[in-house]
Amino acid sequence: MIAEKYAKEIEGIIARYPSKKSAVLPLMHLAQREYGYTSESAMKEVASILDLDPTQVLSLAGFYTMFYEEPVGKYVLEICNDLACALRGADEFVDMACKKLDITPEETTDDGLFTIKTVMCLGACDRAPMLQCNMSFEENLNEEKFDALLGRLRAEATAGTPSFSVAEKMASYAVKDGA
Amino acid sequence: MSDLVTLTIDGTELSVPKGTRVADAAKSVGIDIPVFCHHPKLEPVGACRMCLVEIGMPMRDRATGEPMLNEDGSPKINFGRGLQTSCTAVVGEGMVVHTDTEAVTDVRGTLLEFQLVNHPLDCPICDKGGECPLQNLVMDHGKMESRVYFEDKRRSDKHVSLGDLIFLDRERCIQCARCIRFQDEVADDRVLQFHNRGVNLEIVTMSDPGFDSYWSGNTTDICPVGALTTADFRFGARPWEMTPSASICSQCAVGCNMTVNTRREARSGGKPVIKRILPRQNEAVNELWLCDKGRFTHDYVASPERLTSPMMRKDGELVAVSWDEALNAAAEGLQAASSVAGLAGQRLSNEDYFMLQKLFRKGLKSGNLDVNNRQIGGGDVVAQVGIAAGSDLQQLGKGDAILVVASDLHEEAPLWWLRVKQAADRGAALVVINGRSTRLSSHATHNLQADSGDIVATVRQLVSMAKVETDGTGALDAAAETLITANNLVAFYGYEGLSYEETESLAKALANLLLIQMDGEPHVGRMNNGLIPVWPYANTQGAWDMGIHPALLPSYKAAKMTGMDAVAMFAGAADGSLDALYVVGADPIGDGWMADRGKLGLLIVQELFMTKTAVTADIIFPAQSWAERDGTFTNGERRVQRYYPAIRPAGDSRPDWQILSQLGERVGAGKAETVTSLVFRSLTKAARQYKGMDYRSLGQVEAQWPVVGGDDRYYGGNAFANTAGLGKQWAAVAESKAVKQFEMDDAVSSREDGLLLINAASLYTAGTLIDKSAVLAPRMAKITLTINPVDATAYEDGDTLMVRTDRVTVQATAVVSDDVMVGTAVLRGVKAMNGTAVARLSKIKE
Repeated sequence: MIAEKYAKEIEGIIARYPSKKSAVLPLMHLAQREYGYTSESAMKEVASILDLDPTQVLSLAGFYTMFYEEPVGKYVLEICNDLACALRGADEFVDMACKKLDITPEETTDDGLFTIKTVMCLGACDRAPMLQCNMSFEENLNEEKFDALLGRLRAEATAGTPSFSVAEKMASYAVKDGA
Repeated sequence: MSDLVTLTIDGTELSVPKGTRVADAAKSVGIDIPVFCHHPKLEPVGACRMCLVEIGMPMRDRATGEPMLNEDGSPKINFGRGLQTSCTAVVGEGMVVHTDTEAVTDVRGTLLEFQLVNHPLDCPICDKGGECPLQNLVMDHGKMESRVYFEDKRRSDKHVSLGDLIFLDRERCIQCARCIRFQDEVADDRVLQFHNRGVNLEIVTMSDPGFDSYWSGNTTDICPVGALTTADFRFGARPWEMTPSASICSQCAVGCNMTVNTRREARSGGKPVIKRILPRQNEAVNELWLCDKGRFTHDYVASPERLTSPMMRKDGELVAVSWDEALNAAAEGLQAASSVAGLAGQRLSNEDYFMLQKLFRKGLKSGNLDVNNRQIGGGDVVAQVGIAAGSDLQQLGKGDAILVVASDLHEEAPLWWLRVKQAADRGAALVVINGRSTRLSSHATHNLQADSGDIVATVRQLVSMAKVETDGTGALDAAAETLITANNLVAFYGYEGLSYEETESLAKALANLLLIQMDGEPHVGRMNNGLIPVWPYANTQGAWDMGIHPALLPSYKAAKMTGMDAVAMFAGAADGSLDALYVVGADPIGDGWMADRGKLGLLIVQELFMTKTAVTADIIFPAQSWAERDGTFTNGERRVQRYYPAIRPAGDSRPDWQILSQLGERVGAGKAETVTSLVFRSLTKAARQYKGMDYRSLGQVEAQWPVVGGDDRYYGGNAFANTAGLGKQWAAVAESKAVKQFEMDDAVSSREDGLLLINAASLYTAGTLIDKSAVLAPRMAKITLTINPVDATAYEDGDTLMVRTDRVTVQATAVVSDDVMVGTAVLRGVKAMNGTAVARLSKIKE
């Protein structure tokens, strides 16, 4: 239960906002970090902490592609295939990536390492094909660079060293007191 | 500056209040602008674009600020470059609106083509077909040929259960968000939301149980397509096959106006059956809404368990007999009895009550009359200082105040909860006094959680603080100040956690608060001021008015001799001092007031069902249900409202007043009445508060806003326009003369040691009628007992407990929580008794 495990952190997050319910997105990130995805029970936990109906949390999870309602792999490769990226070969890139990992979009590899998702515009049209992996952009991609990325991530997974911490990343976005 | 704005719509000049939206202004002069997402009771969003019109404003010279004129002297109008959404555009002085130009017509066709891109054209099997805004608008403005490939239509789930009561068809949904906004803005149950985006946008719920709201049925009324349908009516009938009958809900004291839709069916032998119940507009009572209990509790009417023939006990067995045989036997038995008493339920009609009291007082010369489940008193106080005639809770807002004491309106009278909450949203101060927090507490300006035993004391303290100007700073002081300085003040009182005697004191204390003069004016006797009792049943008010009371005659005149009250009747039946008991629409044995028929020489029961009391009776009369007959109910705001027959009677059943009147004729109470309207005429002579009313005046209507019904279902939803009567409120004494402060006795209630039982109401509490509802069955309240951890040393959460009071023994699941005070136990999901009852607990071994 995140309410007990991260009591202090949650208190801090809630304190940042004039209204408790405004803390819903940071808490959903926290829950996703804890459970790997925003499961139904995770959404209910967040709702009960903030006195919301779980449906309100579910609605946000559905609106934002960065929340996963199904379990995902350790690394989520979110490839943009919106119009601008498609013009620069994003669809072909998705096909190549899927073939390489032997999965289709929304699927996870058998080893539980990679999930491929196609997403809407991430704001890097000029550097397409591009993808976002655990909050980090990989741009101007081609097969070679994609192989290198997979290699790097696999090595990290084997070594047990985290590629980077989503928590740190999130914290870097947060408004600091007095800032 | 005037608060009215003058504008011209399609050549019609009109003046409307400042801030009005163009679409509503147009509607007020009969110009229908098509809408999907807009609803007059919801905040505008401008999402669907269906209401686009041309809007122009008078031009002004930039240099001089003077209006610019055409050559003919008329003002120059600037229509801008595009069309505007009339649901969001606010009226302006001199505005000119065109709703029928080529540009407008063209855009309507285009928008409808878009709406139909993914909409399945399954109108022939859709419940909404025939009363569907989308269907109607496509017929009016749509293009008859689509440019979209049929194969490209989005496919989605068509039978999504959003809970036990409501189904969603995701293909039909046009994403107008009316349902979501209704749940957010009106019902405050935020259990419906959008999920995903764009073409994948869909309605979802994740509450437990799904679509957890007492208001869910209303979303199906305002859904502009067939996306939301009720489990009750789904695939049940086509709208044009059904006959509407005006009715009044018989489930609580609010008295919501409703329309019963019936259809003749082969499987019922060609007889009309109830297919669905929809709200009927009465802006002073229920606006356009119904709670789910009112909407879905009608199944009992068609239950095969209904009593259909008079019965008499012969050789120990109950056997069917003729009406004459049963009536004669009853008349003989009652006249031969050494003592008689009448006990009535609290949802009979005024006509029934009047004939019952006539049978007893005139025919049997007995004043032994009372209601069953007598939990709340103060009807005599209400007659003096009740909310004034012509009041409408919708008019309360900033500067006004509402006080709610000892009641959980959300569970007991949902529509009042809704209207009180909305008044608070509009800025009215809300003071809530109860022994625990309720759904209303979070909307309260002052939430005073009194120890239950001390609710009356707390209110009395509040009243004394209101009488003198104190400079106290306590919460109670602040609340008193808020209440007494309000422009208008309405006080609700209920009975949660209180004994009958305590509710009487509470009513008087609140009356005294309302009677305090502020700037020479008390908060009684004028519109939107006064007392509202939260009666437990639909016509408790009528029982008071008609003298179903051991000490009061109709008109609240004191009886010369006080008769037996219900408690005395039960004791008399047990010890043999009462010989004959006549029970109408009540089940004292089933409700635990009587263990059995005791030593009664004669027990007569007039009922719909073979209740526990009826099983032990000597004579049973089958009564007609409310849907099979006409009559009047008087709601808690003393509004006398008329309901009409919708279906044919079950078997040989007769209306209650007729049975009582035919029996009365046999015991010398005068000639039997034959027509309900004439019974009402007689009762207005005895109950002088009803003077001047008759079935014709109760059936009168006047124009209401918003305008609903008719061909423009897209505007107000499927609620029926009221064509059958808005009812009439009778005037409390304070409206014609000054009322003095009530004497308060200093009696302190004595209590036994032990856990004080607070019987908290749940809307779906088991009972003879609601138990028959198929769709509500999964939603029935679980029986729980909430106790404070201090008192729960021997028990844990989830334990099964036996709860014994002096009246009932029930099994309840234990909930240990500090939401309840030490020394009290909150029992839910069962009709028990409040206040003086003490709960004795024992744990059941697994």
